[in-house]
Amino acid sequence: MQFEEIVRVALHALMDHKFRSFLTMLGIIFGVASVIAMLSIGEGAKREAIAKYQDLGVNNIIVREKKLSNAELEEVRARFSPGLSINDARVIKEIVPEVVQVAPQAEKEAEVKMGDMSAKSTVIGITPAFVEILNYETEDGIFISTDHYNNSLKVCVLGAGLANSFFPNQSALGKMVKVDDQWLEVVGVMKSKAVFTETVGELASRDLNNDVYVPLTTFNKRFTKDNLLESEIKQITIKVNSSGKLMESAALIRSILDRHHFNNEDYSIVIPFELLKQEEKERQIYNILLGAIAAISLVVGGIGIMNIMLATVMERTREIGIRRAIGARKKDIMSQFVVEAVAISITGGLIGVVLGVVLSFSISWFTDVTTFIRVYSIFIAFFFSVLVGISFGYLPAKNAANLKPIESIRYE
Amino acid sequence: MLIEIKNLVKNYIMGDIQVPALKNVSLTIDRNEYVAIMGPSGSGKSTLMNILGCLDTPSDGQYLFDNVDVSTLSDDALSIMRNREIGFIFQNFNLLPKMNSLQNVELPLMYAGVPKAVRRERAMEALERVGLADRMDHKPTELSGGQRQRVAVARALVTKPGILLADEPTGALDSKTGVEIMALFDELHRDGNTLILITHEREIAEYSHRIIQIRDGLIFSDEKNHRSNDVEQKIYKTRG
Repeated sequence: MQFEEIVRVALHALMDHKFRSFLTMLGIIFGVASVIAMLSIGEGAKREAIAKYQDLGVNNIIVREKKLSNAELEEVRARFSPGLSINDARVIKEIVPEVVQVAPQAEKEAEVKMGDMSAKSTVIGITPAFVEILNYETEDGIFISTDHYNNSLKVCVLGAGLANSFFPNQSALGKMVKVDDQWLEVVGVMKSKAVFTETVGELASRDLNNDVYVPLTTFNKRFTKDNLLESEIKQITIKVNSSGKLMESAALIRSILDRHHFNNEDYSIVIPFELLKQEEKERQIYNILLGAIAAISLVVGGIGIMNIMLATVMERTREIGIRRAIGARKKDIMSQFVVEAVAISITGGLIGVVLGVVLSFSISWFTDVTTFIRVYSIFIAFFFSVLVGISFGYLPAKNAANLKPIESIRYE
Repeated sequence: MLIEIKNLVKNYIMGDIQVPALKNVSLTIDRNEYVAIMGPSGSGKSTLMNILGCLDTPSDGQYLFDNVDVSTLSDDALSIMRNREIGFIFQNFNLLPKMNSLQNVELPLMYAGVPKAVRRERAMEALERVGLADRMDHKPTELSGGQRQRVAVARALVTKPGILLADEPTGALDSKTGVEIMALFDELHRDGNTLILITHEREIAEYSHRIIQIRDGLIFSDEKNHRSNDVEQKIYKTRG
């Protein structure tokens, strides 16, 4: 018998019992759907993490001052550490060969006012190199330029959130805002950034959209420190030419800073790329677990197929006997039942794929879990559903083929 | 010789006991013979039919079908034999209920690997032969008993087999329909087919030209049958 015939016979058998076939499929449908949904959750989490670290720069090393209490600060100063300084940044750029660019930044909690509105914000004094190192883009206007920096102009760039609440439905460009006691002109507005929900090393989680960027020169000239002992800058972001050199460069940077800070551990080094790799490793276990749970449901679906197929073979003993009497060989009967099982699993698999995609979109729509469907996950789920159909259809099909024609034809 | 059986023995194992169903049966059947195998239930006639129909293999002895030793064939080869050389007609028709007449008749050709178009044509021919040209798309449940048996006959005929093997073909039919089926057999015999009829009814066996009686697994008698006027009359009447 030709393959096409076998398929036709099998499909007929399934269509004769639509409801039963559908019930049999349910296991596969949910199995495939959950595999796709689970994989999409894993992938979504991965993409979110990558996006987060990409914001910090995969080729970057971040040197951040440790949060120290006043007593600790006094102690490190007494031990001659001047804290992070613009000079540190300059030296790192000069000495470490892989370093492409450095961006020192100073920070200060401040109140930003516009008319009768005010907001708590972080003022960040930066150099023009900042925008080049971190992939920050302006939505409107320009970022702090060399001209602003060299002339310590009283300008600022607002975070998207701040601009939105102060200047809803209008351009903030050219407007004046008051930061602490300084009037600054808005020259640019940042693109909205994902809210930083997790603490990465020393980098505390906060909403970057409420930041105000000013030239570092202006910052130093116009804003007074909260505490005289505070370091000149809070953070140095260092860009290296290749992510393969991150560890070596970090080691070199550490030895430079140790020397400058007289071995006071008042700073910490964060390597986003390394953290990403580490996080990925941790997440992998979690993903395997999710996948395994989904795979179990697929197997359970397969057992459902086997169960129904075994019952079907019993029920169709007489039909099998008739087919055998008029010339069907064992393998004809065998392939008929295997193809039936596979047809159930393929159809169930296809419905499951659709359901899985819908499920995955609904998850990201109705909850704050990000999902992302990779095409390969659809193929994996589908492939396994067919495999399940073949393997769990095999036993019932073998039973059917091994029925003795004389006995089965008289079976009532 | 189309069929040649020598010293055929068939034993069934029931638990620890060997139950003999056929003890040393020998017979030959020629092409275009019309033979009835008669015997009460338990006589071994069904066992003989199963072996003749290649549904079962003998415990001992030889079965030559057209000079091929069937007793040693594999399961696959037996399937092919059943498909090509044997047309079964059962007491309870054994049609597939979900298929219409045409599909039922096509089935053996499908297993023979005949292409769809040819298959359809030959199935239609066979149905026309048994007088059911207008019932091709009817399912078994939509047909009368006699019509169902005709579909079964068409299915048996469609592969142009060496023998037609009918097991109590009128057992489930009323006597008038039974006579119609027997008249059809008579025509098939005259067309040149070889017919083997298995029955326990003398009345049905009388339609054949040779009656073999089996008792207790042995051939009890084997003689030519000159059909009575009564039988000829019945056939003549149905022919109209």
